[in-house]
Amino acid sequence: MIQNVLSAIGGIGVFGVISILIFFVFFGGMLVWAWRLKKPYLSTMSELPLESNSQISPKGPESHE
Amino acid sequence: MNIETFKYDNRIVRAFAIATVVWGLVGMSVGLLIATQLFFPTANFDIQFVTFGRLRPLHTNAVIFAFVGNGMFMGIYYSLQRLCKARMFSDMLSWVNFWGWNAIIVAAAITLPLGLTSSKEYAELEWPIDIAIAVIWVVFTINLLGTIMVRRERHMYVAIWFYIATALTVAVLHIVNSMEVPAGWFKSYSIYAGVQDALVQWWYGHNAVAFFLTTPYLGMMYYFLPKAANRPVFSYRLSIIHFWALIFVYIWAGPHHLLYTALPDWAQSLGMVFSLMLIAPSWGGMLNGLLTLRGAWDKVREDPMLKFMVVAVTAYGMATLEGPTLAIKSVNALSHYTDWTIAHVHTGALGWNGFLTFSVLYWIFPRLYNTKLWSTKLANYHFWIAVFGMMFYVVPMYWSGITQGLMWKQFTTDGFMQYPNFLETVIQIIPMYKLRALGGSLYIVGVILMAFNLYRTAKSGQFVPDTETQAPRLEPESGHAVHGGKHRWLEAKPLTFTVLAVVAVLIGGLVEIVPMFMVKQNVPTISSVKPYTALEVLGRDIYIREGCVGCHSQMVRPFRSETERYGEYSKAGEFVYDHPFLWGSKRTGPDLHRVGGKYPDAWHYNHMDNPRLTSPGSIMPRYSWLLSQKLDTTSLPARIGALRKVGVPYPSGFEQIAQKQLETQAAKVALNLKTGMVNAAPDREIIALIAYLQRLGTDIKSAKPAVTPTVTSQDGTTAPTAARN
Repeated sequence: MIQNVLSAIGGIGVFGVISILIFFVFFGGMLVWAWRLKKPYLSTMSELPLESNSQISPKGPESHE
Repeated sequence: MNIETFKYDNRIVRAFAIATVVWGLVGMSVGLLIATQLFFPTANFDIQFVTFGRLRPLHTNAVIFAFVGNGMFMGIYYSLQRLCKARMFSDMLSWVNFWGWNAIIVAAAITLPLGLTSSKEYAELEWPIDIAIAVIWVVFTINLLGTIMVRRERHMYVAIWFYIATALTVAVLHIVNSMEVPAGWFKSYSIYAGVQDALVQWWYGHNAVAFFLTTPYLGMMYYFLPKAANRPVFSYRLSIIHFWALIFVYIWAGPHHLLYTALPDWAQSLGMVFSLMLIAPSWGGMLNGLLTLRGAWDKVREDPMLKFMVVAVTAYGMATLEGPTLAIKSVNALSHYTDWTIAHVHTGALGWNGFLTFSVLYWIFPRLYNTKLWSTKLANYHFWIAVFGMMFYVVPMYWSGITQGLMWKQFTTDGFMQYPNFLETVIQIIPMYKLRALGGSLYIVGVILMAFNLYRTAKSGQFVPDTETQAPRLEPESGHAVHGGKHRWLEAKPLTFTVLAVVAVLIGGLVEIVPMFMVKQNVPTISSVKPYTALEVLGRDIYIREGCVGCHSQMVRPFRSETERYGEYSKAGEFVYDHPFLWGSKRTGPDLHRVGGKYPDAWHYNHMDNPRLTSPGSIMPRYSWLLSQKLDTTSLPARIGALRKVGVPYPSGFEQIAQKQLETQAAKVALNLKTGMVNAAPDREIIALIAYLQRLGTDIKSAKPAVTPTVTSQDGTTAPTAARN
């Protein structure tokens, strides 16, 4: 089936190569990028949900029962 | 530093939170009702509006779009404001989002029981509602991006990335999959046919799971979990990889819903390989969530909110390991069409979405009312009831799925089918259906306890409509002396980020869908496959209206166990006039693709009147109203016209003769029924349905057109005549 289907598309051979390239460039780039991120930046970022604490906080952990 | 004072909008969060609880109860109760119908068919009270086929889409839509949808908006509207240090971009847009979305849900709750459905799973709503969904979604997206634009926090936390990916991808998926040509106000036909429709539908369906049920909830996990544990996420670097890898890979995996079908093999393989790759980012995210709790597990013991969160993240891990496993072709050969799939999706729905929603509700309510949770003990009861409910749901479904899958494939030593009667395999699993309903009931009891607890919490506190807070205004950045380099630059520019995320998402979709349309001519055409006759078109529309596709597939897979049971396996070329495709995804009853000609017309008549007369022990609902309701032919010209527009080659002017042909064919069905000792008027709905069922899968049975002579018009196109039967 695959030959019948794909051979009908002009220049199909290059499609596979392009797909593989996109895939590896994307993942390679992303991994390198993530790896090179600096520690201070990462810790600033991961603290973000915690620092937005200027809202009401509940009265306490204990409940009514 | 320019300090500004502003207020977070809590009203909108509360509205979405209440809607989440209410719709959760509705959606789950409908689920329980239809689960009961599967072992107690009369639980539909013989009312057409509450049969399994019509309510099943209502259950899935209510749980996905109403319960999880409102839960998602609740989480996003709460966390986005705080992460951006800004009030929502526009209060008006927030409320249009809320009322619009919930009006759509009400419209779904009215139209689906009425049988107004496009039949495409999780996209059943008809075209006017589809347009409303698109409009409201755009409103939400503007509000989301607008808030990000006016933020006072320079950095965009990873949760916001997940929200952006959700907003954009759902818009693309919804619009592409809902392309349809109207034939009246509440009827439309998909512009895609057969194989292409199937690919687009499951590209949508799978990514509805990815970008509606997963990415927004992952964003919520990345916000609420660190918040509750009071410590930063385990690895922010891992969360970045999680995000990009997940959105890039997810979009390719849709074809795993179509393994061993008539979909070209290359697309199936692509779907399987990318599904397997999905384990990596999914488990990266799950571990990131669980490891955030290292050193804080003592809190999990005390805080029910964290308990729910831990089970949610664990269920995410289990579902995302199981999903790729089910996408392996050899596993899928057993699991597909069985309750195994039902078990899988409910691990995700009850475990991941349900538990995470409960967790966030327990977190948000005390904060909205400036109080503490009314009863921690009750929340703990809820937790354990929900855990047992989930177990009692999924374990019987695994049991029944694997049992039935194996029974379908079992041959005797002499090479005959061990269970040639499909019904035998159904009766075997009925006890499991009963247990499943018990599990579902427990789960609902838990939700009722939660609703009561949240109500009492609200009563014990004072609602805070706006939370006043302060933050410095975001000054334009100077220079590049900031940490983080390029990624830092990227997340600081929401529009660039948005465009890149869309590109990452679209690549997978394009690689699959574009070749599928380019090779349209290569779906091997079968000359004997002809368009449906007028009567069959209306019969097919009744099949769609009644939701038959919820329990019956129309796709015989190329296995000996299936060709022995059903007949010749299904070919891509047989579905070229099927707008929409009706391959189905679950066999609660047998496959129907080769049912045409298998039984006499009178058998179908009696079977529809009362399935238990012809098939003792059957769990199919009675469809007695089809015997009495008159077939509405007034919309026939509009339907023929719409079908022609989507590519079915009815000759011009066919509308004028369609009615006459319909009557001729209907009279023949009525005559056939008479020979089977059934007296039926030819103008009833049952006649059209029988005509459609008898046509199914017959076109390839003879070299000659199965539907006998065709009318050839001047432009060379052909139309079926009503000469069969």
